[in-house]
Amino acid sequence: MLNVLFRFDRSDVGYGNTIASVLERLDRALISPEPLISDMNWQADWGLRARMFVTMFLLFALYIVFAGALALYIGGGLWLFALLFASFSLVQYYFSDTLTLKSMGAKTVSADEYPQLHASIERLSQQADLPKPKVAVVDSTVPNAFATGRNQKNAAVCVTTGIMDTLDQEELDGVLAHELAHVKNRDMMVMTIASFLSTIAFMIVRWGAFFGGGHGRGGGREGGGGIVVAILVSLVVWIISYLLIRALSRYREYAADRGAAAITGNPSALASALLKISGEMDKVPKDDMREEAEMNAFFIIPIKSGIVGRLFSTHPPTERRVEQLRDLEREMQSF
Amino acid sequence: MGLLDGLRAILGSRAEADAGRDADPDDLFGMSTAYLTMQADLGYESLDVGALCFSGVDSSDFRDAVDEVEAILEAGQEETGTEFSVTSDDHGYHWVVLADDDPEDLITSMHFAADTFIEHGYGSRLLAAVFAYQDRDGTAYWIYSFRRGRFYPFVPRDGRERDSSAEFTLESALDGELEIEREKEYWYPLWPSEGGTHPWE
Repeated sequence: MLNVLFRFDRSDVGYGNTIASVLERLDRALISPEPLISDMNWQADWGLRARMFVTMFLLFALYIVFAGALALYIGGGLWLFALLFASFSLVQYYFSDTLTLKSMGAKTVSADEYPQLHASIERLSQQADLPKPKVAVVDSTVPNAFATGRNQKNAAVCVTTGIMDTLDQEELDGVLAHELAHVKNRDMMVMTIASFLSTIAFMIVRWGAFFGGGHGRGGGREGGGGIVVAILVSLVVWIISYLLIRALSRYREYAADRGAAAITGNPSALASALLKISGEMDKVPKDDMREEAEMNAFFIIPIKSGIVGRLFSTHPPTERRVEQLRDLEREMQSF
Repeated sequence: MGLLDGLRAILGSRAEADAGRDADPDDLFGMSTAYLTMQADLGYESLDVGALCFSGVDSSDFRDAVDEVEAILEAGQEETGTEFSVTSDDHGYHWVVLADDDPEDLITSMHFAADTFIEHGYGSRLLAAVFAYQDRDGTAYWIYSFRRGRFYPFVPRDGRERDSSAEFTLESALDGELEIEREKEYWYPLWPSEGGTHPWE
């Protein structure tokens, strides 16, 4: 599975520091006071959109350079591998809804088993202008929720039994709306595309020498040198793209929070849900945590918590998200 | 998916844009001729009730908007004789229920109410408008989705079943007269509350 490839070792942090500080500044600029208007015609967050665009642009620029470098130094050998890998992730993406649900131990539930949950998701999908997604439940006390699926028609929204016990109806609606906003914004597709070449770069770092060794038997010294350069290039590409992807993921979270607020018309309920869940999350023993970055991207609160710091997390800090939701609430309340 | 929608999806603002999109209440007038077709061609009698479903917002500005809707309907009551009430269901959604034996007046009042929400900037809170009919098999509804801007039939039967053949008949008979929702996965049911009744019953 792709998830494993996103595991990040602490020893690598140093490489990304410069980009890290740039991204940090971008992140800091996120919340700016905006003119207040009443009702729900919120100010569009152009800053957020711009940052998302810049991040994606940088990522693609990086990938183009990467592809060029690979073509220059390696030629055909690794491309075959890239192609194989591409088809593998395409299959994975295509079946992402069932695969993710299976690997999380989630069970699709019917309206008879969970009438309230189904009713909520139905109304919220209606408001969000989405077909009703599959509804799944994980039997776990950890309060969490995630969405998966390659498109709107194959989407699934999953909640844990823990989150249903922890939150009241309005808060749960906020969380469900957040997940539906992920589906609506096609975040699964965006993140799959964004992390695809990054994963290849990582594979080259890890297995490049092996491939080069097998390949270089006939090619002599020149081929071996190309491999070394390719591995170095891949390493740099991997580290930079890793940070960019994380930044992109955080921006998607802010966007999904705004989307959820627009769907429910109740930013406060989502804010209080986030606070409640993050409070609960702290109490969960560390042993229970799993490091599944790929899936974390679609969790409401990431399971993995702050060892490597903010820049390496898939989700923005809860306080910052709550602050954004409070701004939306204020815009709505004032005259 | 249009180009603009695609761009919105890429920038992650599609959910916000679509959920916040204003409604177009003028579509409701499509129902005024549909009434005649329902009666003459299909043998469905109007139940003389209509209802607007909207989700609440916890702000004083929104409460003002609802108050004004009530004031406008109150004023209209003298002129058109349309009875109205405001209730909520067990999903936490709110309803403006209207009753009038003149379909034209009923639709005009619904339009007024919807328009008032939109004027106050809460058009995006409007979820659906419901028009009720009856034939010998039971009740049938036309539901207008403000989010989609389309009508679709909803024929509930006992035990949360939908009479899909009746829905199909309604769909084909009113095709051309109403803007009908083509994608059936958007034909969202509106089931009765716990007590077994709808807000308008």
